[in-house]
Amino acid sequence: MTIAKKEMVSVLLAQLKIYVTSGYEHRFSHFDHLGNEDVYISLHDKGDIGKVASVFQHHGGRVITITPYVVDSGYQIAYHFDVTGIVLTVTLLTEDGSVDSITPILKSADWTEREMQDLFDIKIIGHPNPDRLILDESMAQGIFKEYMTLSDAMTGAATNTLWERINEAKGGHDE
Amino acid sequence: MSETYRVPVGPIHIALEEPVYFKVKVHGESVEDVDILSGFVHRGMEALVLRRNFLQNMIITERTCSLCSNNHPFTYIMAVEKIAGVRIPPRAEYLRVIADEVKRAASHLFNVSMLAHLVGFHSLMTQTMETREVLQDVKESIWGNRMDLGANTIGGVKYDLDKEQIRYLIKQLNLIKKPIRELTNIYSNNRIVRARTEGVGLLPKEDAVRLGVVGPTARGSGVNNDIRAIYPYVVYDKLNFEVILEDGCDVRARALVRLREVFQAIDLVEQCLRGLPDGPVTTPGLPRIPEGEGVARTEAPRGELFFYVKSNGTDKPERMKWRVPTYLNWEALKVMMPGNKIADISVIFNSIDPCISCTER
Repeated sequence: MTIAKKEMVSVLLAQLKIYVTSGYEHRFSHFDHLGNEDVYISLHDKGDIGKVASVFQHHGGRVITITPYVVDSGYQIAYHFDVTGIVLTVTLLTEDGSVDSITPILKSADWTEREMQDLFDIKIIGHPNPDRLILDESMAQGIFKEYMTLSDAMTGAATNTLWERINEAKGGHDE
Repeated sequence: MSETYRVPVGPIHIALEEPVYFKVKVHGESVEDVDILSGFVHRGMEALVLRRNFLQNMIITERTCSLCSNNHPFTYIMAVEKIAGVRIPPRAEYLRVIADEVKRAASHLFNVSMLAHLVGFHSLMTQTMETREVLQDVKESIWGNRMDLGANTIGGVKYDLDKEQIRYLIKQLNLIKKPIRELTNIYSNNRIVRARTEGVGLLPKEDAVRLGVVGPTARGSGVNNDIRAIYPYVVYDKLNFEVILEDGCDVRARALVRLREVFQAIDLVEQCLRGLPDGPVTTPGLPRIPEGEGVARTEAPRGELFFYVKSNGTDKPERMKWRVPTYLNWEALKVMMPGNKIADISVIFNSIDPCISCTER
């Protein structure tokens, strides 16, 4: 089991070297006493994520989830894949807040890409079903980039819906 | 008869325990397509955990949902322990499995009892819930709570078992073996249950692989995504168990996987009690969490639960993300539902053992 996993990691890293044209950095691997290996990789160019997904898809891989987070120069996005029991975390940087969708290659990315679009306002290019997932249409995209206190949220400051309803009840007059 | 209608189910609906919105397209009595909208119980937990320290987050993560509550802190803590380079004492590893498998058995019994309720077999539902009640008593007696066990902590576990508690646990597990055998027989062979579950909500194996579904939803279609086997953690590598697979690909197959896993969970608890080593249940003191990142995953009752934690060396995480099993299983409903009757919608929905609070965090 352990040997098979080690071999698979070597195969995957070698194939990424061929297909990821702008290159990548194998930052580190975490080994545990049970024979598991967690691999952490950084891409030099965000445009290579589709190639990474294709390599993993070829070996029966799937997307576990995707973690976006805000950094000074834009967004860091960590893609977590499972390939035959190995967890590979592939991180990229997007400065303009857009990234190619990998849902056409790995369907398991579908919801998590849409969630990323809702909560962080990251533009997912080429998603087959880019509709809202978590947030209602009345709320602004990218709510996770803002800090909103619970009291603001509870008084309805997060949306216009409450005031629209009050105004409607008053006969549509703003006061 | 030949007209097509759109039937809204939810966000608040009598057949749903939690809010979610299905837009079901029906042709006559048959479902043609389904669209799913979520976000009604989104609580912004991923933002909240960044404002709490690593210890406080053990408490918050346990409250993501109730049925698989133990797996959330369990997995989160394993990710933190990887960053801190902590290896927990052997006794704590066994105790973590015991708490988790008791929760799994209770969760699976809850799901199959809901199946009995939805097919209108109410005496079967009450029988299943009565059997599950023994496990609820076990949880309350040992961990002091029926749902949130608070069993795990960074560096080990918060509870220990003395001889009397071990005797009690073995006795209670023996007590439910016969009823569960009888219940499994009814779920497998009863004419009414079979009529409502066999061939209903089909998820072919290739679709299960394509969608990346997890847990009993995958194993009911013959796909082995059991994290305990493919990515062992704590002492699962030392325990003797086989991944339970069914190839029916329908509601019945998924229910049978869960019922067989109840027996498996009891067996795993018994193996742990037999092999329970002596020693401490935690590492001494609390570790400092250095800068770094870690991933961890466990097999929750509904399937793979994944945590990613990124630390910048302070007492609070820089980023935390978790992906619950139901999150990946939703899309499978779009494969399972078409071609079935309207009356089967809730039965199929229940067959992925959905947890909406988990999904939305």
